[in-house]
Amino acid sequence: MLQFLTKRLIGLLFVILGVTFLTFIMGYFAPGDPIVQLLGQHFSPAEYLQLKRAYGLDLPWYQQYYNFLKHLVQFDFGYSYQYKNRAVWDILKDGVPISAELGLWALLIQVLVGVPLGILSALKANSWFDTTNMGVTLAIYAVPVFVLGILVQVAIVWLDQHVGFGWPAANWGTPWTYTWSDIQFKLFPILVYAATGVAYFARLARTSMLEALRQDYVRTARAKGMTERVVVYRHTFRNILLPIITYLGYTISFLVAGAFFIELIFNIPGIADITLLSIQNLDYPVIQATTILLAVVVVLGNLLADILYTVVDPRIKVA
Amino acid sequence: MDIQDQSSESASPGVMLPDTTLAPVLLTPDAVPYAIEGDRTYKKPSSPLQDSLRRLRRDKRAMVSIGVIVSFIVLALIGPPIYQHIGGPYHSNLNGVVGPSQYHSFSYQELGQNTQDQLPSAHNWLGTDEIGRDILARLMQGLLISLAVAVVVEVVDIVLGVLIGVLAGYYGGWIDQLLARFTDLMFAFPGLLFVILIAGIFGNWADTNLSKIPLVGPNGNARLLLVSVALAFTTWPLMARYVRGQTLQLKEQQFIEAARSSGTSSWGIITHHIIPNLFSLVIVVATLDISNTIIGEAGISFLGLGVQAPGSSIGLMIFAGSHFVDTHPWEVLVPCCALAAIVLAFSFLGDGLRDAFDPKSKD
Amino acid sequence: MSAKLLEVTNLKTYFFTRSGVVKAVDDVSFAMQPGQRLGVVGESGCGKSVTALSVMRLIASPPGKIVGGEINFNGEDILEKSQVELTDIRGSKISMIFQDPMTSLNPVFNVGFQIAETVKRHRKDLSNEQAWRRAVEMLDLVRIPDAKRRAKNYPHEFSGGMRQRVMIAIALVCNPQLLIADEPTTALDVTIQAQVLELMKGLSHEFSTALMLITHDLGVVAGMCQHVNVMYAGHVVESAPVQQIFETPAHPYTVGLLQSLPRLNERRGSKLTPIKGQPPDLTNPPASCSYAPRCPKVQSRCRKERPQLMRVGRGEQEAACFYPN
Repeated sequence: MLQFLTKRLIGLLFVILGVTFLTFIMGYFAPGDPIVQLLGQHFSPAEYLQLKRAYGLDLPWYQQYYNFLKHLVQFDFGYSYQYKNRAVWDILKDGVPISAELGLWALLIQVLVGVPLGILSALKANSWFDTTNMGVTLAIYAVPVFVLGILVQVAIVWLDQHVGFGWPAANWGTPWTYTWSDIQFKLFPILVYAATGVAYFARLARTSMLEALRQDYVRTARAKGMTERVVVYRHTFRNILLPIITYLGYTISFLVAGAFFIELIFNIPGIADITLLSIQNLDYPVIQATTILLAVVVVLGNLLADILYTVVDPRIKVA
Repeated sequence: MDIQDQSSESASPGVMLPDTTLAPVLLTPDAVPYAIEGDRTYKKPSSPLQDSLRRLRRDKRAMVSIGVIVSFIVLALIGPPIYQHIGGPYHSNLNGVVGPSQYHSFSYQELGQNTQDQLPSAHNWLGTDEIGRDILARLMQGLLISLAVAVVVEVVDIVLGVLIGVLAGYYGGWIDQLLARFTDLMFAFPGLLFVILIAGIFGNWADTNLSKIPLVGPNGNARLLLVSVALAFTTWPLMARYVRGQTLQLKEQQFIEAARSSGTSSWGIITHHIIPNLFSLVIVVATLDISNTIIGEAGISFLGLGVQAPGSSIGLMIFAGSHFVDTHPWEVLVPCCALAAIVLAFSFLGDGLRDAFDPKSKD
Repeated sequence: MSAKLLEVTNLKTYFFTRSGVVKAVDDVSFAMQPGQRLGVVGESGCGKSVTALSVMRLIASPPGKIVGGEINFNGEDILEKSQVELTDIRGSKISMIFQDPMTSLNPVFNVGFQIAETVKRHRKDLSNEQAWRRAVEMLDLVRIPDAKRRAKNYPHEFSGGMRQRVMIAIALVCNPQLLIADEPTTALDVTIQAQVLELMKGLSHEFSTALMLITHDLGVVAGMCQHVNVMYAGHVVESAPVQQIFETPAHPYTVGLLQSLPRLNERRGSKLTPIKGQPPDLTNPPASCSYAPRCPKVQSRCRKERPQLMRVGRGEQEAACFYPN
């Protein structure tokens, strides 16, 4: 196991290195001269050179990259171009808990609602429950997350106007607290955010369950006199975990992408929202920092999924 | 990603939809009813492709989806010229007398109490948006954009994906390793994030420089080329992975061994044996990729990083309309429904194609 | 006649599919004595597996259904039992092992667990340790070397033959009265086949377990069984003690089967003699004898009525033929 972990961690390191390099390159080749932006309209060449040196931008690219990495390792993301005296981390630190809260809840709901829904659907295959379930999940899955978000907003506003629903259609409450007001802010964005994943996990669980129920070892379990309950919960469940865990890795990627839309639509001040703003402002240090953060989250998530996979399936040789 | 390799070998759900209606094939006898000799009616031999097409024709949902897609394509291509000839001259308050070729175009705008935010009427079949532009015209233009981007991205996706995937699967070695590391990297960079970054950072540059390319033009479409390239860049690795997996499977089959022992060159094997057998996989993955691409382009435009005004994109329309959800929900609902319809259509089609090509899934 | 262990009367199991009703088992009757070893022979699709699954009530309920008949086990009709009672019977009174040992074991549990699970299900009085010990005992009994250590191994760490032994261990751990084996050695190498069959025969003898051995291989039956049922197109066409099946086959189908077996002492270059024709369509069984289209001795009566099993000669041989050998 230790061997496996080290091998994967090294792989992870390479990927993160690649990501940092890509983001660095993007910043390096990005059009526009940040120094000019900082200095504004009137400046002297001497001021220009001075500022350039201060930001380390007069060094050759590999040295810049090295400095970049050196700072990263110390968790120093540098200073924003836009807000000249604010450290990048200072700008990000408020957004991190919000995006984390959003993402974690969405992930939990996706797995804890989606999988049982799928299993139930499989056990009642071809019943009305199953057909409606499959229809609804396909519709939800196919509709892009931002469309879903907008439609939900439309619905909230309409309900408010016609029925006096009274829930807010945007903004976020206090991170990680759950008063009634907080719940009103957070419930719908989280549900919309999780929706696509719930749909996919439900369909995945259903297919895997049906596949597992067809297997010979299920027939053996029944022939041994096991009750249906045991057959389903013990014999098939472990076997359907495998594709679910595999998809867990992917869903983290989708969650990261979806964050941009959800935070924009519902006006939630999370990391993705900050990233979008800094893209508009061409604030490269912030862009780089958020990109790396998000990429690290995805990579770690995949690693976790890989580890879980080896735990669940004894056929995977870990050496 | 070694473990992922093992499971994706058999094209298991990565971003593909899982089977829609996999009815359980339970304990059935191994009885295969044969017709009694002499009683057998002669069936013309049909190729697997013909069998698949027949199965597809029977799938109502897939056929409806094809219908929807074709209608949207027709709408996007011949809709605008037709629409621009319908309707008489119109006395606009600000612009004098204008003919339908103007007021039914996607960029004509007219500010005024009577022209902004109108509901559907004989004049503007789907109403107007917040600055008086005809929604139907903008919708059609947006559809055209979506389809154009989808085509460009798919071509690159298929060509690159198949080429690299087959080479990686057939030859293995450094190509395979490179592909694996590359796809790892692309997975770490959630696809959309990459496109967002590219579109965001290089967008302005594209606007100024790429507008000079003919066809792209100054309509705010310059960024589209950039977005298409970025989308293609993020889509092909997955296709290559699927193709690689399938190639690996095919490679081990006996007919490949037979071909090789009869002297066929590697290149011959690849072109005559492997690539034709990839057809069904590539079609299914491409259809689902088109779905994702359309969503991607709409999403990017929604974020303001894609098509810019005066151009039109479905994503842009949704974004613009989203500000008036409380007063004029119509403006956001039209593009939302259109987008949902086209994406659903491609998803159902992809599902149907997959069921048609894979006889194991249904009775 | 001593009390029969299993008595199947007029069993009919049909499958209701989109292309018609497949009459997989169409009026089958036979009986087994305690401790008896019965062979059920026939080609693919003749209904032998479905018969076995019907006895265990493991027929998938759509699309299959037991539409008629009685299955009396120890005097009680299995078809009348509730689901709960059935789960009590399966694995403890009647056990079944299947053809493909590769897929019949759950890959995520070790073999010791899979055996012990059966013990714990039917002997709720035993503790976990006791169940585990029993599992190791069984592994020893089926001659898995180093049983104590190997009980913790997973199925993929065993070879095909050893997996089938594990299946046998699972099936026999609660000392059932009847073991049904559906083509248990078909998927194994010939040399391993012999070992596994020997094991089954020995254990059946040692524990007085009746054995219903289903196979398409007459050679297997010769060494293992005391009595043989030959099945064709969903019913039993011949039933006789094993000696008589080989020495004096009565039904033309049995004769054909025996003739089609290649023999060691045949002349080189001589052709094989298969049975001409194809098995009939089970969705539309004709009112005639089902073997009539292929029978070399067919007469006009055969095409009009279906023969029932009738005694042939002296002794216990029965054949469903109007003109047996």
